Amino acid sequence: MKLLTCPMNGTRPLSEFIFGGELREAPDQKTCTDAEWAAYVHNRHGAPGDKKEWWYHSPSGTWFIAERNTLTDKVTRTYLFGQKNLGEENVVEEESK
Amino acid sequence: MQALDIKTIVPISPVAHAQPRDSAKWDVVNNMEIAVEFANADIEQARKKVLGVTDVSCFERYGVKGPQASQWLADHELAIPSNPNSWTRCDQKTLVLRLGSSEFLVEDQLGGLASKKLANNTSRIAGVYKVPRADAAFILSGREVLNLFSELCSLDLRATSLLANDVIMTQVAGVSAIVLRQTINGEPVYRLWCDGTYGPYMWEVLIEIATELGGGAVGLASYQN
Repeated sequence: MKLLTCPMNGTRPLSEFIFGGELREAPDQKTCTDAEWAAYVHNRHGAPGDKKEWWYHSPSGTWFIAERNTLTDKVTRTYLFGQKNLGEENVVEEESK
Repeated sequence: MQALDIKTIVPISPVAHAQPRDSAKWDVVNNMEIAVEFANADIEQARKKVLGVTDVSCFERYGVKGPQASQWLADHELAIPSNPNSWTRCDQKTLVLRLGSSEFLVEDQLGGLASKKLANNTSRIAGVYKVPRADAAFILSGREVLNLFSELCSLDLRATSLLANDVIMTQVAGVSAIVLRQTINGEPVYRLWCDGTYGPYMWEVLIEIATELGGGAVGLASYQN
């Protein structure tokens, strides 16, 4: 069973979670060019590697960030958005058994 | 054509569609029609000791969230659990569940009035938002209850893992649910809430396993006395 740790609810089966896409910072609409905005809207960074992703724990309605290597599927950290610098208690590992 | 007065309509338990309409005894509790007796008292007592499943969707409930929700509940003299995912009892007749840092579920047990008082307060406070609740709610009792959960839930819900005041939000039978341990009339039981639209499904699953394990449906009347 694959497991993922919600920063609010603890370690749970992956079936309780919904993937919400990569965390991407939008360019400033007032200053960016049309090409930059079009790239943000239409293009995705598909190369495997370390990504920050939105995940949703559906039973509790908790959105959070998971740092995951999309090549190895290894999750190194999960935390609530805006709380990435909290202590080690928020560092979680994906496990399998 | 006669006008329909919505105030005269008595809501029915969200679980009712899965329950026997003819063989069970029904009553109106907290303005909701609910099954109060499925078999005679001796049979229901025996089921409760093995694995009893009771529909308590009629308990009054009130949900609230927002940055000022905690203070607002405290202003209404309700005890507030200090940590997310925990619960506390208030005046012995009301459960206050903290579902997150700023979201709460208040549920009156039989005879409790706190939820009704909160619902009657219609004043609008900044940072306090009502969360409409339409839960199917159950009491699970008896010595086989952990065997039931082992078939439906991937978490360890034994007393050593699920502490007395813990609230667990997880999936039960594939449905998002809230689970906690409680004591009613000195009897340790588990409580289960899920969305009301899943109520009939959840009831059927619970009753199927309960029956296999020697238990069954228990009416609300067994907790009213």
